[in-house]
Amino acid sequence: MASSSSSNLTFKLHPLVIVNISDHFTRVRSQSLGPSPQSNGDTASLPAPRVFGCVIGVQRGRTVEIFNSFELLFDESTQSLDRAFLLKKQELYKKVFPNFYILGWYSTGSDAQESDMIIHKSLMDINESPVFVLLNPSINHAQKDLPVSIFESELHIIDAIPQLIFVRSSYSIETVEAERISVDHVAHLKPSDGGSAATQLAAHLTGIHSAIKMLNSRIRVLHHYLLAMEKGEMACENSLLRQVSSLLRRLPAVESLKFQDDFLMDYNDTLLVSYLAMFTNCSSTMNELVDKFNTAYDRHSRRGGRSAFI
Amino acid sequence: MNLNMSSGESIVAQIQGLSTSPRDISQLHAFLKQSDDLIRSDSTRFAPLLTLLDPSIHSLGFLYILDACTSGPTPKEQANEHVCTIARFVKACSTEQIRMAPEKFVSICKKLKDQVMFLAAPIRGIAPMLTAIRKLQSSTEHLTTLHPDFLLLCLSAKCYKNGLSILEDDIYEVDQPRDFLLYGYYGGMICIGLKRFRKAMELLHHVVTAPMSNMSAIAVEAYKKYILVSLIHLGQFNASVPKYASTVAQRNLKNFTQPYLELAVSYGTGKVAELEACIRQHRERFQNDNNFGLARQVVSSIYKRNIQRLTQTYLTLSLEGIANSVQLNSPREAEMHVLQMIQDGEIHATINQKDGMVRFLEDPEQYKSCAMIERIDSSIERMMTLSKKLTATDELMSCDPAYLSRVGKERAPRLDFDDYDPVPQKFSM
Repeated sequence: MASSSSSNLTFKLHPLVIVNISDHFTRVRSQSLGPSPQSNGDTASLPAPRVFGCVIGVQRGRTVEIFNSFELLFDESTQSLDRAFLLKKQELYKKVFPNFYILGWYSTGSDAQESDMIIHKSLMDINESPVFVLLNPSINHAQKDLPVSIFESELHIIDAIPQLIFVRSSYSIETVEAERISVDHVAHLKPSDGGSAATQLAAHLTGIHSAIKMLNSRIRVLHHYLLAMEKGEMACENSLLRQVSSLLRRLPAVESLKFQDDFLMDYNDTLLVSYLAMFTNCSSTMNELVDKFNTAYDRHSRRGGRSAFI
Repeated sequence: MNLNMSSGESIVAQIQGLSTSPRDISQLHAFLKQSDDLIRSDSTRFAPLLTLLDPSIHSLGFLYILDACTSGPTPKEQANEHVCTIARFVKACSTEQIRMAPEKFVSICKKLKDQVMFLAAPIRGIAPMLTAIRKLQSSTEHLTTLHPDFLLLCLSAKCYKNGLSILEDDIYEVDQPRDFLLYGYYGGMICIGLKRFRKAMELLHHVVTAPMSNMSAIAVEAYKKYILVSLIHLGQFNASVPKYASTVAQRNLKNFTQPYLELAVSYGTGKVAELEACIRQHRERFQNDNNFGLARQVVSSIYKRNIQRLTQTYLTLSLEGIANSVQLNSPREAEMHVLQMIQDGEIHATINQKDGMVRFLEDPEQYKSCAMIERIDSSIERMMTLSKKLTATDELMSCDPAYLSRVGKERAPRLDFDDYDPVPQKFSM
């Protein structure tokens, strides 16, 4: 079902759409679980509910840009989307965004199914070639890319019958400046007013820490790969080796004795400051502990000296 | 007679049978506790039965029988045999099983120590004791009753390095306070023997400031050594006992250590002749306390102290000048002293041999090296573990019922007052 598309359309997806779909799915899922949270085993066995909606945007020439999306109710009995609501929403959006057209629809799940073609065909009267955006809600830590795929419909001859099937298309993410700020906000959970100096420092350091962690894991992968190539477990790929070698030649950026001196001195200073901070932290904990101990066990005044506990 | 024979064999059979799974072992433990008296009363008959048991599998049973056999007074011929059996057992026994009967294990190890001292060969007991400690400890932070015995053996055998491995561990749990005092005292002595004065001071300081309800002789001896080591290492001695020591110690320590305090005072003047006079005066006292060697080290350290004081006044000084101010006999001696101190890292100086001048320098440590980074890093990590432990203890303390009752008592009256606060009275004009 999913071969690559041959229509040569470039798709551009805005992050707002992804956030919308994911939000819709999370809401429906948590509402369907009921008021009391169930144990982990139960949630795993419940089949994830599918959510549906429409995507809107602009098509200029061969570029399809998907800007926004809204939710729709899926009618189980007629196996179709709520048409009246769809038209009403379309009107409302037209008033605010006159450029936007309904480009297609979205849903959640792991792969496109046969039944989706029915919905796809039903939208064909609004847009002759709708797109189908699919979000995979299962969390897969090994996967590095976004679990979003875009499908188009194409007419293929299978078993001498012309059929419409879904074909996967590639897409890119496009952001406007305003979107970038809001996505950043959501991703990093920054306090809205900027917070005190301490929280800002903590947020900044957390960012650096995750960046370094990612860098470290990627370098580890490269290192592992090079070791395997050296041992002969993997075929030698010269182009990759050239890339790695050019990367290595870029470092270190500065190499001189004076730099080394200053760098080490700076490093030592920072370490000493953290040492001092740890000391202070420890002393204050100790102080509190001793105070508590004295209130609990000291029979006489708290002037000094420990009472015996032998 | 026959009954006793068969009961002995039946016990052995039980031990052999029930030494496999953990459930069986707890059953065996209960059984052994019951038959303890029986074993003890007939210990001589049980001794040959030990050969039937394997110490690594039947550790618990072996332990009980061995304890019964060795508990009575031992004639000299048997001492050697006992030492061998106990040493073999300690090396082979299984850790989980002996942890079920720790008192018995401790008593046979103490017996081992006594026998080894009796045979005047303390060095034989060191390796088994070390294994015994490692097996009995629930973690490296746990101080058992065996620690001071082990340190005593190391001291008697003059094998200080073995004792050092035990002293490096940080202690967070103590079985018995008396163990802790002895551990600190012996540990301090071992460190003095190895010339690690800083660690010795730390250990002796712990003994002196440990909580105690009555004056402990161990603390008095430790205080004497503490004074001497403090003079050797730091060059000064703070005569006031720290505020956090027990009130008993604060009041009484000074009374027992009068000659040492006088020694400290005369050291403070910096005059070698006075110091030597003071030592000669109290020589007997020092010798009785086995501290005469330390006292002599104090004398040699006073020269170092004086030279160090010179670094704060002069930038360059001739060797003759040094010899005169420090009351040494000749410039040659002064040169030797200064050379030794430079090697030990106690001062930073250069000697110009052509004109006999010594130039004193600043500390060349720039804190720029990778070695320094590693040092600071390891200190930070130690501090972090300590901090975690402190927070955990703090939380434990907050849940302690004694503490909560005290805090609750302080707060409660105020609440009552608020509760019974009457309606604000009407304002009458």
